[in-house]
Amino acid sequence: MVVYRRAELLRWRCLEGEVQVNRQNLRCLSVVGILAVFAILSAGLSAQTTTATLSGKISDSGGAAIPSAKVSVKSVATGQTIETQTDATGSYSVPNLAAGDYEISVSADGFNTQESKVTLTAGSSQTMNITLSAGLSLQDLGISQSQVQGNPKEQARLDKRSHMLKVHQTLGLITVAPLVATVFTGFFAGGKPTVTSSTDRDLHAALGSATAGLYFASAYYAIFAPKIKGTKVEGNIKLHKALALIHGPGMILTPILGEMAFHQRSQGERVHGIAHYHGQVAIVTAGAYGLAILSVSLRSGPASRPVQHALAILGRHHSPETDTLTDSRAREELEGPSPESGQNGERKP
Amino acid sequence: MKTSNSPAIRYLLLSLLLITVPRLIWADTQWALQSSTLTYHVSHPLHQVDGVSHAAKGKGVCQSGQCDFLIAAPVKSFDSGDSNRDLHMLQVVRGADFPMIVVRTQFPESQIAPGTVHVDLEVQFAGQTAHYKQIAFQLVMQGSDLKLSGMIPATLTDFKIQPPSLLAMPVKNDIPVRVEMTWHRQ
Repeated sequence: MVVYRRAELLRWRCLEGEVQVNRQNLRCLSVVGILAVFAILSAGLSAQTTTATLSGKISDSGGAAIPSAKVSVKSVATGQTIETQTDATGSYSVPNLAAGDYEISVSADGFNTQESKVTLTAGSSQTMNITLSAGLSLQDLGISQSQVQGNPKEQARLDKRSHMLKVHQTLGLITVAPLVATVFTGFFAGGKPTVTSSTDRDLHAALGSATAGLYFASAYYAIFAPKIKGTKVEGNIKLHKALALIHGPGMILTPILGEMAFHQRSQGERVHGIAHYHGQVAIVTAGAYGLAILSVSLRSGPASRPVQHALAILGRHHSPETDTLTDSRAREELEGPSPESGQNGERKP
Repeated sequence: MKTSNSPAIRYLLLSLLLITVPRLIWADTQWALQSSTLTYHVSHPLHQVDGVSHAAKGKGVCQSGQCDFLIAAPVKSFDSGDSNRDLHMLQVVRGADFPMIVVRTQFPESQIAPGTVHVDLEVQFAGQTAHYKQIAFQLVMQGSDLKLSGMIPATLTDFKIQPPSLLAMPVKNDIPVRVEMTWHRQ
């Protein structure tokens, strides 16, 4: 529309005053011509419908409508797939499809999947009714509807758990930087037992505070992440959790001992009493923390061998026994509690 | 007497043969999944993970020379040896919203013979349906049991799954699923 108006305006300007010079007139006319062609083409294109609609009804061999049947429409040219479901009357409709060849796939539980092809032309509204023949259903496998049904609440818990553990992981990794710096500056923080040489100690204490802050923020996201019922803790996560029993108290104890040592040094005293163990506790804490990160980061390959070795020492190697337990648990989910199971489905010892 | 009856007997036998032979050829056959091992493989720069499930259930019906097989396995039955990773997997593939992996396949009954067969699979997983064409499976007959093995070249994008990442490194898109099954003819 804008192009068309511009062309009109230019045409008037050309015809009114600028007719005296032939060459200029000619240029003007050619511009007007090009713009007019564009205007006509764009008007024509906008008036034309370029998409098509595919609709129809899905029914069984007896003619009864099949609701909730999945209809997939795949473009042969682009490979793009659009999926829809039939309504209560077995009807479906897929609008705004570009002209071209499509592969239609219709599936429904208890029916054999039906595949067919269709060519859609621009502006057309094509009807394609499909009849599905009866096939096997999940009920034939002894799987009930409730076992197939989704549990949005459980999914929301899983989503929240994953999100919180992701934050835990990120903060945990960020903590490594000030932790390493704190341990490094710790070697110089001892210094001379005078009040004036406290700069290194201040830096060490500041880094230690930052480490503790990040550590406890990270721990919060792990501790308060939702727990998923019926999950047995298996694998390297067991070592990861066990190591938290070392670095957790260590992260509380280290700053307390550090503060005591800092105070003693600042008073010009030698570090004495339990404060003397500040360095050792810090090293053990940092070591346990590093191992905890490695335990969930590495699994296979030479780099992870020490972790695997630690697992072996703890006797928590993944064994075929754990596979059997998980599988029997899953089987119980499908088949219901086995005769050996307790009333609530829990396995008897 | 003998000679007069023999054509009648012959006709009777012939008609019996005509009735029974097609029924023997196109007899309804049912197959039940006896045992199975489904293993998915995930590659990460720091990990090589295999998740195994033995909890699949399956049934096959062959009618009029055409077979229809259905297999289903709970998503949470897959065990990678680490419960934390399995819960992450469950979340990423929306296993609580869509608790079952369902595989359907149809093929001519004549394909059930020792050797390699190529079948089309329809896999429903994570709320999506993916179709795999001409997937090769090795078949071995052992009495009335049929042992089947093969690999489904699944990818995360087939099911619109966002690749999970560890230490800011995402896993590879390919998640091939190794299938080993024993079917029993009923």
